[in-house]
Amino acid sequence: MTRDEALLIEQVVSAWRPRDADGGVRAHPAWHDLPDTLREEAARQTRRQRRMEAALDPDGLSGTAKAVLARIRGG
Amino acid sequence: MDQDLDAYLPDIAAGDPDAFGRWVAGAEDRVRGSLMGLAAHVDVEAVLQETLLRTWQVAPRVRPDGRPNALLRLAIRAARNLALSELRKARVRPAVVADLERLPEPSAAMSGPDPLLRRVIAACRERLPGKPAAALLARLQGPGKADRDLAELVGMKLNTFLQNVTRARKLLGDCLSKRGVDVDLELA
Repeated sequence: MTRDEALLIEQVVSAWRPRDADGGVRAHPAWHDLPDTLREEAARQTRRQRRMEAALDPDGLSGTAKAVLARIRGG
Repeated sequence: MDQDLDAYLPDIAAGDPDAFGRWVAGAEDRVRGSLMGLAAHVDVEAVLQETLLRTWQVAPRVRPDGRPNALLRLAIRAARNLALSELRKARVRPAVVADLERLPEPSAAMSGPDPLLRRVIAACRERLPGKPAAALLARLQGPGKADRDLAELVGMKLNTFLQNVTRARKLLGDCLSKRGVDVDLELA
């Protein structure tokens, strides 16, 4: 994996996602630049990271959960 | 330990975001897991977040069907349908979509990390050096924020921030491995 690819994966591991005009959650721009095999690797790394985030959080909430709850609460 | 997350359904249906948070804490990994077979074709994180938002919206109309985890089973089906819809929009070859449609529906059974494991992960996180620790903390505290904004908050350039997050995650993984923790197995 190249350095640039590693940086793309790190961006995809983030819980931030852009929204479309209707407020729908869209794919991370960096995800589109990854080849198929690295998209799968990014998904695996994201899952591992979310599990650790949830395990570290007193309420068991991962970054995904917090991002979604922020949207629900009007963020 | 199996848990019926529908225990939260009445409060979720009444519009309580905290109850939905407790449901998400138990359901997220199962819904994410159901999408992993599609990860080469869709951004799993985006599909998952959209699914969870839609689950919140439809929850007031969900009625238990006598089996546990009605809302979780609905979310897993919704996630899969949303992912397949994204595939069609992206004009993925119909034969590939048909293959993916035939994948078996994942189970809604689940478990969670034990308290000892939580302590081991927390101990490993405390051992992270300054900049990787700061970058990871920014990610943990600002999950809905773009990396560019988080990098600015901790006084790093974007690439430096990303490299520090990567380093933090690697060091955390190494520390857990040394303590005999396989995150993929133990937290599944």
